[in-house]
Parts: sequence; C-alpha cells; structure tokens
Amino acid sequence: MNKTMLGYVPTESPIYEVHPFVKLFFLLIVSLYPMFIAAPEWNALLMVIIFILMWFSRVDLRTMRIYIPMFISMGSIIFISYVLFGGNHPEYVLLARVFVINIYWERIRDAIVVYFRILPMIVTMVFFLTTSRERDVIVAMRSIKVPFVVTYVFAMALRSAGMVLEDFHIVREAEQARGFDTIGKSLAYKIRKYVMYMIPLFALSLRRSEEFTNALVARGYAFTGEVSRVKRADYLLTHYSFKPHDLVLTVLVGVSFVTLLFFKYGLGYFNLDTSIFINWLFRIIS
Amino acid sequence: MANVIIEIKNYSWRYLNTTSPALTNINLTVEEGKFIGIIGPNGSGKTTLAYSLDGLIPGQYNGIKEGEVLVYGKEVEQYARGELQRSVGVVFSDPESQFTAMTVEDELVFGMENLGMSVPEIRERLEWVTELTDLKPLLMKPPYEISGGQKQRVALAAVLAMTPKVMILDEPTSMLDPISRKRIFEVLEKLKSEGSNTIMVIEHSLENLIPLADRMILLSGGELVLEDETRRFFQKMPLLLEKGVHPPGSMQFFYELTENGFISNLLPLGIDEAVVELEELVGRKSGYGDPR
Repeated sequence: MNKTMLGYVPTESPIYEVHPFVKLFFLLIVSLYPMFIAAPEWNALLMVIIFILMWFSRVDLRTMRIYIPMFISMGSIIFISYVLFGGNHPEYVLLARVFVINIYWERIRDAIVVYFRILPMIVTMVFFLTTSRERDVIVAMRSIKVPFVVTYVFAMALRSAGMVLEDFHIVREAEQARGFDTIGKSLAYKIRKYVMYMIPLFALSLRRSEEFTNALVARGYAFTGEVSRVKRADYLLTHYSFKPHDLVLTVLVGVSFVTLLFFKYGLGYFNLDTSIFINWLFRIIS
Repeated sequence: MANVIIEIKNYSWRYLNTTSPALTNINLTVEEGKFIGIIGPNGSGKTTLAYSLDGLIPGQYNGIKEGEVLVYGKEVEQYARGELQRSVGVVFSDPESQFTAMTVEDELVFGMENLGMSVPEIRERLEWVTELTDLKPLLMKPPYEISGGQKQRVALAAVLAMTPKVMILDEPTSMLDPISRKRIFEVLEKLKSEGSNTIMVIEHSLENLIPLADRMILLSGGELVLEDETRRFFQKMPLLLEKGVHPPGSMQFFYELTENGFISNLLPLGIDEAVVELEELVGRKSGYGDPR
C-alpha cells in the first residue's frame, strides 16, 4: 500500500501509471463540470463515474463513509438556508406555509441544484487526494513549469499543515498529562480554554519556522541573490515521463469539457427545464 | 603543518536581549581533514559555535559579535548568501526540524539541486550516499514517518550528499538508542577513512567519539576551556571532571589507579587499550609475564 494524502492505495493500482499532471488536470477541469450542469441527474451521473474511477483505481470506497456526516450536514445547511430562510417571493410557486415561513418550489429546486453541484466537486477532490501523494502535486506543478519557489512554498504549506496537527496532539497530550483536559466539558468551556492549546502551539510554530529557515540556509537555499538564480536540475521529474496514454487522457478530459460546453450552449442540454429529475419532483410535490 | 581551514580569533557572541555572551573570547584553528570532537555541558555554547561556523550566526540571529570567524581565510559574513553552505554543512541535533521535503529522496536531492548539480551528478551522489548510510529502502518514504535513527541518518545523508569540505554535526545521536548511535558513528568512521572531509562532532557519547577524534575541544560557560590532541586531552582528568565531563568508565578507572600510584602511563582511550594495560599491570603485580 502506498500512502496518499487521504489514505492508502495498493501499489499495483493502475492510477500509478497516470502522470501526476493528468491527475491535476482532471481535478481542475472536472471540478468545473458541475458549474455548467444544472440538472441534478447529470451531476449524479458524474459522481457515479468518479466512483467507478475510484473503484478502478482500487481506492477503498469504504473510506467515503467518513464524508457521509459532512454530506448530510452540508445538505441540511443548504436546505435550511434556501428553503426556510429564502425570503418572501410572491412570484414563486407557494407549496406550503409553516407558521410565518413560506415554502416555495423554486427554493427547494435551487437547494437541490446547488447541493448536487457541490457534491461532485467534493467527490472529485476526494478522488484526487486519495490517489495522489504530496509529491504528485509538486511534480504536476513543476511539469507545467510553475516556478520552483511557488511549488516549494506549496510543498512547505502541505508539510507544515501536518506538522501543526502533530504539534497540537503533543501539546494536548502534555496538558492532559498535567491534569488539563476538556473531554466531557461543555462547548463554552472548551472554547474558553482553547487558548491553553493555542499559546504553546503558536510558540511551537514560531520555533518550527526558525528551525525551518535555518535548515534552508544550511542547505544552501536562498529565495533571493545569486544562489537563487542557480539552474535547478529538478531531479524529481526524472522519475516521471509523460507517456502516450497520458496524452490520450489529457486530450479526453479536455475534449469532454469542450463537448460539455457545446451540449450546454449549442444544444441546450443540462438545463433545469429539460431535467427529468426536477420535472418529476415538481409533479410529485405539487 | 596541514592546511588551516577554520580560524577563530578572539571571537565572542552575545544573543540579543541576553545579559551574558554565549561564547567568550574563543581562539581556535582547525586543520583540513581532521576529526574534531566538541564536548561540554548544556548551555556551554557548542551549538552557537557550530552555527557561527556555518554563517547561521550572525546571518539568521541578532546579536553582538566581536572578533573574527574565518573559513578558508574569509570572514563568514563576507560570503554571499548560500555560498558558505557549499563548503560547510551542519547536521542539526533535531533531525525533524531540518527536513524540507516530502520524501527521503527529495530530502537528499534538495541540497544538491541548490548547488546546481546536473541530474547524472545527483544520481551518482545519491547512489553513493544511500549506500553509505543504508537508506535505499527508505527513499520513497516521508522523512517524518521513519524511526528516530533513520531520521538522523537521513539528516546526515542530506548534508553528506552536498559533500561539503567541512561537516559539523550537532549532537547527531542525541535521540538515539545505542544501536542506532553506533550506526551513525560507523558512517562517520567510513567518512573519516575516506579522509576527504573535515568533521566536527558535538557529542555527549564519548565512548563512540573518542576512537574517531583526532582532537578534542571542551567548552564550558561559553569559554574554550581545553583544546588538545585526543590522548593528551583526556590526561587532564581533574579539569574534565571539574567541568562536568564524565569520560568513559575504563578511563576513570585507570585515572583512579594512577592517582593511587599503581600506574604512571597515559590513560587508555578505549576498552582495547585498557585491556592491554590491565594485562600488563596484573602480570607485573603477580610476577608473571602473561596473566592468562
């Protein structure tokens, strides 16, 4: 098993045959699809396709269970804010009136549309994170000649995120060992006492920054000056080659996006008026 | 006399907002190719000395400097940013704090890329350094997910890969168990046998350091208290004990024998020497040439 940013993927997974750039390109382009698709059934289909790709990449789909609470809470927030706090709209179709709240069909429809737009974006991101390592992101960025400083700062950000979490656990354990524990206490108490974690964590972060800077200087790295202009060999990229199938996949993703635009703006697909699901739901509700 | 590569003259350093200097009036010369051991209690200025030689002080720290720190005849401040680090490499005591990359391989390659090496050169050096430090199986792992001993080896290898002429190791085995500690010193032994580097090691584990060190330095309270060739250094046992240095047990045992008039030889540096000397002593006392 190889560790990825969000889990583990078997070493024999076909995803390792794909160049990191293709994975990043897939993420960036496919994440845009839902923006152009209003009909929920098409976005649901997109999700199914991504799940199939995850299964094909041998990602353990059971890991998706951890996102279920997030999907539910996100859906609830969208539904409440659109349907219950959507305001008064006399021009909309009124379905019901609960106390002082008017329930409109259009607000329900919009909540569903937004929800089904966000879901595939998240699933696409999860697919990328479960099949990529931090290194893949760096390689992808360097493959398209993103300046080293930018990719390096990005890599440092990824690394420091992990380090802060690790430090947080250390601080919490150290404080628990000295009798300070917020487990079982009220939320207000936890928020009030959170500063007890934050102060040492902040001090640790400052120290980490100093050590990191020292390490960079000690390795002969400088962001400015003559040394910064040294031509870097980018040894990392020598492990990766852009093979014909990578080109085919890149073209496929690109062509599919252009096709989507053509179907949307040229042939009028993916709109709400032609949505089978929305029309069916309207018939049911009304 | 061999080529002097480091010269420290009347050097004092005081960190900003501190009342007493971290280092006071240090005078020291280091010859090319030598293995130097630096010892002293905590807070004696060992790390400050290491940072001063790598240009981290005064480059990265605010403070007041007096005197001169010359590396290859040039003041450390006069080197352009990143230039001195091509000649002087530092391995910090906390390996994790010096990791700058996402995999062990990237970590080892990072410094070489900064030096502007070509891909074939990097590949060749990577091969050499992973062989030397036995890191090949770990190349694709994140450096913060490996064991403490492996982390120390990665930190050492990352600096080694840059092949600096001077290597300074600040307590490279401070977090290690005896076996891992031994492995680090085995790497240092190999390096010493190659003879191409000047190595300065700050270390508390004297059993491992003494057999390798050509010269020893004792720092205490920011002052250079003693500096000599290793064997002569450890003959000054009363001073070492007074300064809180605890030489290996065998050495202390022979010191007691000397104090009680049993022997008058130089103190043995290691177990092997101690055994030979003890055999001689026992043979002499019992009237037999060979005590066995």
